[in-house]
Amino acid sequence: MAKGDSVGEFEFLVLLAVLRLSGDAYGMRVRREIAERTDRDVTIGAVYATLDRLEEKGLVTGRLSDPTPERGGRAKRSFQLTGAGVDAVNRARRESESMLEGLAFPLPGGSR
Amino acid sequence: MNAHSAPNPPVILRALLLAFSGDAHCELVAGDLHEEFLCLCEQRGQGVGKRWYASQVMRSLPDLVRLRIRSGELTRSLAVLTCIAASLLLLDRLWCFVYSHVPWKDGLDRAAGFLAVNLAVLCIASAISGALARSARAAALLSLACAAGAMAGICASLSAAPAWYIGAALLAATASSLAGYTNTKWRSQ
Repeated sequence: MAKGDSVGEFEFLVLLAVLRLSGDAYGMRVRREIAERTDRDVTIGAVYATLDRLEEKGLVTGRLSDPTPERGGRAKRSFQLTGAGVDAVNRARRESESMLEGLAFPLPGGSR
Repeated sequence: MNAHSAPNPPVILRALLLAFSGDAHCELVAGDLHEEFLCLCEQRGQGVGKRWYASQVMRSLPDLVRLRIRSGELTRSLAVLTCIAASLLLLDRLWCFVYSHVPWKDGLDRAAGFLAVNLAVLCIASAISGALARSARAAALLSLACAAGAMAGICASLSAAPAWYIGAALLAATASSLAGYTNTKWRSQ
């Protein structure tokens, strides 16, 4: 596997959010999905920077839609996973599961 | 909430967003933030909506600037700035050479004719760079780069520049660049 094929932690979250929103995954919905599910304060800039990187890697593809009044007359760009994106998510999940295997949660010695 | 009474995000923050984000993401990010802003205003009030909008814009700026650099938009502006400054500097060196062959003239202020040639070259270079712009925002950025390049070229020149020449150069660079863009746009329609 080439270095460019692996995905970082936030990239993985964005890929999963795009997958969950199937078909209607645009910047703000991806941001909201990650914020609600992970309780992180995510910025729209970080989401677009990551989506741009993922698109460059060929893991997602974007499609521009018509402008709408609720967006102040601006268009939106919906993203969806490519075949390589689906492979990347499957691989990242396998790797996480393999690393977590045999560990008991919650781990002792944490702050909470 | 109808369109007439719908609140708008703070103008300064919108302007900041438009100024810092690149062509490719400007409209998308502004649209996304606008949509969420309206939602928040409706559910939790305008104060919360405005604070949230401000926080999102300010914290997103570094990422948006990085995206703009990656898109090559700033690199193009820097290249235009360098080309304009270099062309004015080369002309200045040429006039230095010409003056050095005229007895008693070396080191004197440039004649109006030479400065007019500088302005003509500046206009042509700025118009060409403006014609390369793909959008009005890019054209505005390039016209600023042209003006900055003209100023850099004048400041780095060996001879003293009269005030009228500096003013004319800044105006010519900006106007020619915008004219170049307008002409290209008009021809393509």
